[in-house]
Amino acid sequence: MMIMSAVDSTFFTLNEVATLIWQAADGHTPLSEIVARRICPEFEVDPVEAGHDAEQFVNDLSQHGILLVSEQPIASSPPPEAR
Amino acid sequence: MSPTSQLAASDPIGIDIGGMTIALRTQDPAFRQMLEDRYAGFVKISPNPQFEFDISLFEPEDSPDPSEARHADDGVQVRLQGGEWLLQRGDFSARWDSVAGRGHIRQSRNPYAIDSALRIVHTLILARQGGFLVHAASAIRGGRAFLFAGVSGAGKTTISRLAPSDATLLTDEISYVRRAGNSYEAWGTPFAGELARVGENRAAPLSALFLLEKGPENRIEPVGESEAIRLLLRNILFFAEDPELVNLVFRSACEFVERVPVRRLIFVPDERVWEMIR
Repeated sequence: MMIMSAVDSTFFTLNEVATLIWQAADGHTPLSEIVARRICPEFEVDPVEAGHDAEQFVNDLSQHGILLVSEQPIASSPPPEAR
Repeated sequence: MSPTSQLAASDPIGIDIGGMTIALRTQDPAFRQMLEDRYAGFVKISPNPQFEFDISLFEPEDSPDPSEARHADDGVQVRLQGGEWLLQRGDFSARWDSVAGRGHIRQSRNPYAIDSALRIVHTLILARQGGFLVHAASAIRGGRAFLFAGVSGAGKTTISRLAPSDATLLTDEISYVRRAGNSYEAWGTPFAGELARVGENRAAPLSALFLLEKGPENRIEPVGESEAIRLLLRNILFFAEDPELVNLVFRSACEFVERVPVRRLIFVPDERVWEMIR
């Protein structure tokens, strides 16, 4: 999957794991739950390593302004446009 | 004398990308200057541009058109309606008659809006010519061009930064691929990525597509045809909700893989990787 930043039109090409995280980022489901329930079973990866990689991924997207990282559920709109 | 110094203030600015000139006409001096600066190296005086757009600007806070009040995060929509292409994102909307070659862009002052509009128009043009835009870095070395694609973090910016002095960087972000008979050419683009460096406006026959992957050593591996097509498609930019053009782009990707070697380039992120790219 490819996503485009609405801020500066930068593109991000995502691998399968990153795509799954992006699609599961609904503003309500904790990242740890996405890793535990979606990534680990589907890709058979170590939970600790997967957790670290997932955190790095969301932080990267957050730094580019295309994903909001929050300690609390975000009660608003669905995820931004994906392409 | 630079091309822009020969332009009258009322002349449209021709932006020549991939050998195709799109003339942009604006009445706003500051925006015009931004265009000249942003696309320096790609500005061309062309009395007969293939395509021409009038640009009008709006300020988000005083937009009278509800369609312009869309949120900045609203995604791209590209569709054919009544014989015209409609392009829309949060910060711009455009109409384009591809047969007449004329269109109109209404946008905020955000320079990324015109970037996006130009990219979309080029994807529509290229789709019927067997070419495409691809999320990849590219460079010319020894008279031949090389593409470098990969997921974000794979090393497009890194390999661009490591390019030796005898390599010409075409782009670190969006590569322009055109069909040339039974082969392909890569052209430079002004669409910069993290390197924040505009590519050179040059072209060369395409020699290979490398799929990047950082690793403990430098090596090149073969990639099977179906995997190559799948990974190429993952990186091709195409926005239109149009089954016919989507089918054409798919066919273009298949034909590209038949004619251009696709390899996996596993590399240590230092300058030695370029010893394998010749």
